[in-house]
Amino acid sequence: MITLTINGKEIRLDKPVTVLKAAQQAGIKIPTLCNHELLKPFGGCRLCVVEVERMPKLMTSCTLMAADGMVVRTESDTIADVRRAILEFLLINHPLDCPVCDKAGECELQDAVMQYGPPTGRFIEEKRKVRESHDDPILARNMERCIVCTRCVRMCEDVQGASAISMIERGGRTVMEPFSSRSFNCEYCGNCITACPVGSILSRLYMHSYRPWQMDKEVETICGYCGVGCSFVAQVRDESIKRVIPRIGFGMNNGLLCSKGRFGYGFIEDSGRLKTPLIRKGDALVESTWDDALDLVAEKLTEIKDSYGGRAIGGIASARCTNEDNYVFQKFMRVACGTNNIDSISRTGYAAAQKYFEGLLGQGINANIIGGIKRSDMVLVLGGDPASVNPVLGLSIRAAAKAGAEVAVIGHAPGLERYKTINVLPPLFKEADILEALLLEVFRARGNRGESHAIDRAVSEFDKEYSGKTDMHGLEELKDKLLKSDSISIVFGMDLVQRTDGHRALFATAGLTHLLEARLYLLSERPNEQGVIDAGCVPDMLPGGRPLGIPDFRRRYEDAWKRPIPDTEGMTLMEMIEGAKKGDMKALYIMGDNPVFNLPDRTFIKESLASLDFLVVQDIFLTETAELADVVLPALGWPEKSGTYTNLERRIQLLRKTVETTSGMDDWSIISRLSCRMGYDMLYTDAENVMDEISRVSPLYRNLSYKEISDKECLWPYNGEPLRGEAKDIKVIKEKSRDYDADLYLALDKPLFHSGSISQRSPGLMDISPEPRLKIGTRLAEKMCLKDGDNVIISADRGSISIRVSIDPCVNGKVVLMSNNFKEKGALGIMGYNLDPVTKAPGIEGCAVTLRRG
Amino acid sequence: MTFKELIKKIFFIEIIGGLALTLKHSLSPAVTRQYPEKRITPPPGARGLHALTRNESTGEAVCVGCGLCAAMCPTNCISIYTSEGEDHKKIVDRYEVNTLRCLFCALCVEACPYGAVLLTPHFEYSGYSRSEFIYTKDRLLENWDKYMGGAKSREYFDKFWTPKSADFARVDAKGSESGVNQ
Repeated sequence: MITLTINGKEIRLDKPVTVLKAAQQAGIKIPTLCNHELLKPFGGCRLCVVEVERMPKLMTSCTLMAADGMVVRTESDTIADVRRAILEFLLINHPLDCPVCDKAGECELQDAVMQYGPPTGRFIEEKRKVRESHDDPILARNMERCIVCTRCVRMCEDVQGASAISMIERGGRTVMEPFSSRSFNCEYCGNCITACPVGSILSRLYMHSYRPWQMDKEVETICGYCGVGCSFVAQVRDESIKRVIPRIGFGMNNGLLCSKGRFGYGFIEDSGRLKTPLIRKGDALVESTWDDALDLVAEKLTEIKDSYGGRAIGGIASARCTNEDNYVFQKFMRVACGTNNIDSISRTGYAAAQKYFEGLLGQGINANIIGGIKRSDMVLVLGGDPASVNPVLGLSIRAAAKAGAEVAVIGHAPGLERYKTINVLPPLFKEADILEALLLEVFRARGNRGESHAIDRAVSEFDKEYSGKTDMHGLEELKDKLLKSDSISIVFGMDLVQRTDGHRALFATAGLTHLLEARLYLLSERPNEQGVIDAGCVPDMLPGGRPLGIPDFRRRYEDAWKRPIPDTEGMTLMEMIEGAKKGDMKALYIMGDNPVFNLPDRTFIKESLASLDFLVVQDIFLTETAELADVVLPALGWPEKSGTYTNLERRIQLLRKTVETTSGMDDWSIISRLSCRMGYDMLYTDAENVMDEISRVSPLYRNLSYKEISDKECLWPYNGEPLRGEAKDIKVIKEKSRDYDADLYLALDKPLFHSGSISQRSPGLMDISPEPRLKIGTRLAEKMCLKDGDNVIISADRGSISIRVSIDPCVNGKVVLMSNNFKEKGALGIMGYNLDPVTKAPGIEGCAVTLRRG
Repeated sequence: MTFKELIKKIFFIEIIGGLALTLKHSLSPAVTRQYPEKRITPPPGARGLHALTRNESTGEAVCVGCGLCAAMCPTNCISIYTSEGEDHKKIVDRYEVNTLRCLFCALCVEACPYGAVLLTPHFEYSGYSRSEFIYTKDRLLENWDKYMGGAKSREYFDKFWTPKSADFARVDAKGSESGVNQ
């Protein structure tokens, strides 16, 4: 216990902190410019000087550790003189352009000068002139204003780990500049904007169109881009989000954001938003009224249900919709339409993996706090680049690496290039082989844990089948380090699920998680992939992860919903679409997703959806899928609705309505109106009302209210009860992996700046990354004499795309990478697929392509 | 009741005193001005209709859109919308004053670092609808042309509302924009 006195106030500290922190804890304000909560003490600006008894000179409180018995004064005439002098020096070069500077009003220098500054300056010399840089599409740099606190550089280096900027020149000419000189070539996290105390680095989105005090409202909400669910404050003026700011100590991102979160909110103001319902008349979709559209949907769905039965109707839910939307959707499908055919696009990744892992390892296996990664001494990264799929989770891995943890990457993760300590590059599409070998080695070295019958038995059986010696592919080092580490985090990306033998990688990962007692993190590309599963939008489970096949569980929901629920398991996503082609599926209801674009084999998906009798699409844009629909219903984007999202660590967080709109209706509201028309009344007043029902019905969300979710951290297992008891027996299908002998394959790239197809409607993100690029390896580029930016035509069996290349030295020579975000240039469109027999996820590996200049 | 009071009551002393005062004032010259028959010239610095200062050399408004006038306004009658111009400078798209709500307190004039907004002595304005009293940027600049400008405005700013930026003219004499900071 340390006791010190600051300004006559006695302060007790449990652990040693700096005098500045101690003062802040006691509510005493000490001015500072170079100190930042997320950064290490720097002692550069000298503004935080304090008087300490028995110390001859003034001390900088940000670097001075509090010691027992210290007597500190933070305000005195001497201190005020020093601060005034420092500020006068800073103002020699700082332009007095506050009236046109966007930072004015929240500028730390302005505040300090107001409190301590000199009333006038004495320097008559000319101020330094630096051209304001608008070379970058997103970040404006005004280095006249820079006070050289180096917070941006330290933020970029120490926290973001991007090391994209530095201070250049010396003395009074010192300014910050990106290594890429004029424009930034970085991750565009924008954390330097947060760090800058003055207006030197500013976002160019909505530049000069607001002042901090002119905002109409501030809404604490969460980001709807990926499964991390970062918290931020959205500031709104005239029903338009002007900017989002993360706050220190608020949400699990604690003051950090990624490019998508910070600059990606512009899509809600896109001119292509759907405003009224559309009904197909002949070949065209014509505008209609809500009543007509809903009547038509109700009538058609009833007709199909009566003539073909519920099994001919299917529903595709969305991981971009809230828990409330998805709950109402599955209830509508199960009760009003009488079918269990409910699934979501998450089946292609997260849902398949999550279900597999839970089946083997028990419910809640992936409910691990992201902060835990920082405390691991080893992080194993598989099947994707966490730094681009879930950037803020990626930062935790970087932080762990900085703290000395081993970071092992199996495969290609460009975002961790500088942080990985072990990198295993498996043969193309054969990650499963490596993981299985690793599992066997770990099992043989350590044996079973004997805690979970299902997985223990499965691993032993697996070992017996594989009696031979394993091929270690250079895994010895990784194995040794894994066995030595006490606290391991496994970060599992969804690339490994999108394989025809994806279950092999899943099994091996499950085995490793169990044997190594590791924390498992599933990367999640969409904001509510876990919520979709928990809300019951899966063909074999009711809300709360209760298996449909058990009559007692079913009865519980039947009692609550007062209608019978069909007892047979429904079809999964791809089965529904294949069923449509075969003619088994007559009607599909798609809420908030775009299967034509987001699933492999575009021509096949289009044909399948076209052969349906009736297709309803509920979305915010007229997507490729909506263009095929019979009825299109306009919904709301995430900044426009209230509800809850469950993130990849299974934290439930409140999404608050940020802007009002007249263009659409809440997804749950559309569905409940429809349900009333189909003879099953759903009378909800608002999203909170839906949550009240979920918390009453679903044993997982027991007694959960919005108040509780907003007041405290809402972590698994909430107040509810996870399903205990024996996990399912998972059959391990032993398969020999295929050989890949074509010259070149196409694989899916998940870029940092785009996600799904909404990001291409966000002007900010489009400025950063305006067009898709085909990433090719250096050797291939040399062979074909291609330079960065050259146009090529990539052809596969299912079509070809003209695209520009970018050369990435990390890309394997036999593969080219392409994203699936840009209209008409999506990689999935020309890829074929084969269903994984266990997870039912489409495997997209082994898409042979040819490349020619074009 | 004393004898003195009784005498006062009998001879209506107080009433006579009152009548005398009335008589005196009815014979002195009138204080009330017969507006609108007789018009007056408002004293210099009188707070009437708003105007935006026009830069005499460029012909544009001096206002940079800092929003301090709107922030200061006790009745929130000023609304300002700015955006990024072609050369990345801040431009004022809309500057509106709802004169029906205005108190004529002149806090906006005091807040303005550039002397860009002011209250002209003109106070006689009328209209047939509420919307006519919402003065847009163009109309405010017209007000400047009509009621201010030239020597009149110099007197106005010199005598009453010296803009704060003038304090910095000495510091930043080389011609760059000077500011409000301190």
